[in-house]
Amino acid sequence: MKQKHGFQRKQLAIPYAIFLLLFVILPLLVVIFYAFTNEDGHFSLENYVAFFRSGKTVGTLLYSIVIALVTTVICLLIAYPTAYVLSKTGLKSGDALLLLFVLPMWINFTLRITALKEILTLIEGNLAFHPFANTIICMVYDFLPFMIMPLYNTLTKLDDSFIEAAQDLGAKKHHVFLKVILPLSVPGIVSGVTMVFLPSMTNYVVLDMVYNSTFIMGSLIGSYFSAYDWHNGSVISIILLLIICLITALSSRYTEGETDGRVGAMK
Amino acid sequence: MKRTKVHLIKRMLGTGIALTLAMGMTVGLSGCGGASDGDVVVLRVANWEEYIDEGDWDEEDGIEFSDGTILCPESSLVEDFETWYYETYGQKVKVEYSTFGTNEELYNQITIGDVYDLVCPSEYMIMKMLREGMLEPYSEGFHDKDKEENYYENGVSPFIAQVYDGLAIDGHKLNEYAAGYMWGTLGIVYNPEEVTEEQASSWKILMDKSLDKRITIKDSVRDAFFAAVSIQYYDEITAEDFLEKENYSDALYACLNRTDQETVDATEEILSAIKRNVYSFETDSGKADMVTGKVVANQQWSGDAVYTMDQAEEDEVELCYAVPTESTNLWFDGWVMLKKGISEDSRKQQAAEAFVNFVSMPENAVRNMTYIGYTSVISGGDSDVILEFVEDTYGADPEEEDPEDLVEYDVTYFFGEDKEAVILTTEDQTRRQLYAQYPSQDVVDRSAVMACFDNEGNERINRMWTNVRCFDLQNWLHETFDK
Repeated sequence: MKQKHGFQRKQLAIPYAIFLLLFVILPLLVVIFYAFTNEDGHFSLENYVAFFRSGKTVGTLLYSIVIALVTTVICLLIAYPTAYVLSKTGLKSGDALLLLFVLPMWINFTLRITALKEILTLIEGNLAFHPFANTIICMVYDFLPFMIMPLYNTLTKLDDSFIEAAQDLGAKKHHVFLKVILPLSVPGIVSGVTMVFLPSMTNYVVLDMVYNSTFIMGSLIGSYFSAYDWHNGSVISIILLLIICLITALSSRYTEGETDGRVGAMK
Repeated sequence: MKRTKVHLIKRMLGTGIALTLAMGMTVGLSGCGGASDGDVVVLRVANWEEYIDEGDWDEEDGIEFSDGTILCPESSLVEDFETWYYETYGQKVKVEYSTFGTNEELYNQITIGDVYDLVCPSEYMIMKMLREGMLEPYSEGFHDKDKEENYYENGVSPFIAQVYDGLAIDGHKLNEYAAGYMWGTLGIVYNPEEVTEEQASSWKILMDKSLDKRITIKDSVRDAFFAAVSIQYYDEITAEDFLEKENYSDALYACLNRTDQETVDATEEILSAIKRNVYSFETDSGKADMVTGKVVANQQWSGDAVYTMDQAEEDEVELCYAVPTESTNLWFDGWVMLKKGISEDSRKQQAAEAFVNFVSMPENAVRNMTYIGYTSVISGGDSDVILEFVEDTYGADPEEEDPEDLVEYDVTYFFGEDKEAVILTTEDQTRRQLYAQYPSQDVVDRSAVMACFDNEGNERINRMWTNVRCFDLQNWLHETFDK
């Protein structure tokens, strides 16, 4: 039947287009405006120069990167074997087990961290002596499901015939893993890393909750904004945005290489 | 012309600027509600979270006065105001009550476009708003002592009135634009089993190595800065010839409000050392951590100190409050009317001023104090309700207590010479709730208001704060590789 009211399917996208315009593009333009102007409203790059010249702010950038990097690596090391085992246990029980890992996400985040904080206090006595370690523990706890999910999705789709072929052709176990399974799961790793690395650079609530008084990039933005310093706050946001762009660019190269990887694995 | 919401949105859609729509909607909504339509005046009030009596008291919390009346409100103070206003002025009023978490949050809300008629920021924010021409002065009638319904003017403590009188910004006197609400000091809540009173009576406790990671400081630039400046100038402001200066108060104020580069640099050093020593820079966890014993001392506002000590008592932990002997920050929150909200609507201004007077009625001040733990600026004027409340709460019966444990606690400075405001109380109260809620004369003498800094000073202090809180790469490299 023909549409009577001239309704077209692409009109379904209008709500999202409005959302995108109002809450993504316009705010972004505002941020860009503030990031490249000074208090008089003139174009200026002096805030960037100030950021990279101060040992303190650069220190905080590095500190955030280190926190994000360590969190991501640990998440990956825990999530990969977990997701692999889950994907190999047969679909139905795998789903049930997966639920166990995703279940914590249904409980409010601050509640979970508060509980974890109390457990850590029981173990350590005084949390303030290990701010970095506690931050990492809570970050990993918080972001682990975000790493497991994409890995699990990729690994369940992995075609077992590749593995069997490699085994038939005499590849040893670790060779099968390194040359076949790992290259094929790169897309899952990439999306897991992007979902963990970037949020953990800015999730300052975790630091506040475990009494880590050192700023990360997210707290720096908050601190500038509460002092009405929109310019410097926006500068930090732009720097984070550039890091995101860089990671996305790098990861898209890997995901594009996915097909090559598959061919390579088959060779 | 009265603009309705629909008209406003249509008009804006016409211009096609979506951003204006998004921001304008909030303005449009509140703007529409704000217009005094028909016979109901709408009063938009913004106050701190949990900073007014919300009613619904338990029967056992009720307060009985000497004349036999029992105060045990079921409705909130805001609801009671609406009823009272109709009864007194024959005019219906609807209060749109909203809350904010920090002064900066309130200021940002207002600058983004939220419209309020009456707000309750802290002293420095009042000064900032006054400087920026945002405030509407109170009418002359508000200060008329002959009118019975002027509960604020007739009831405000002479001490507070005198502090207000001494403050001005660009030639505008503060008391023409602001009416006080709550006030207090900044001090240290401590656990007497772990920390001595002497230790807690100086801001240097924050750097005390023996309390490594067992003490907290407020996660607030101004409170941390105040403590750091006091430490920096400790020797100067505790020297005998300084204390004996004729203009001691003014000199103390000038010293503790220094924002020159040299001072700010020094505070950066001090706060970095404090950061290495404290358990955390806390926003709200300090109270609970004191009760559980994770921390043994924390920097606290007097009202929160009362609350913390009350809470701890319920868990059978005794905590005390000390005010550093070198200096304390005298702070107060006050009601100011915003030009943008009142916009020369005399009915609105009358309602706003009546709201201030209503919360200043002695009975209502008592309700607020009981509910939130802070101290009202109202001493009661001719009414003895407030003093009676203080005596009732903290006074001791000499027939029941050992007379040796009892002391006379003088708060005449607050209640004025014509009242006998000497409270017979147990000795421990001079270190506990009473001391926090009504500090003694000597505490008030060494208190200083922290003004609104100029832009240059603010910039310096904010940069210093960022430096303190950021990861100190140099220090880390130094510590890691020079060992």
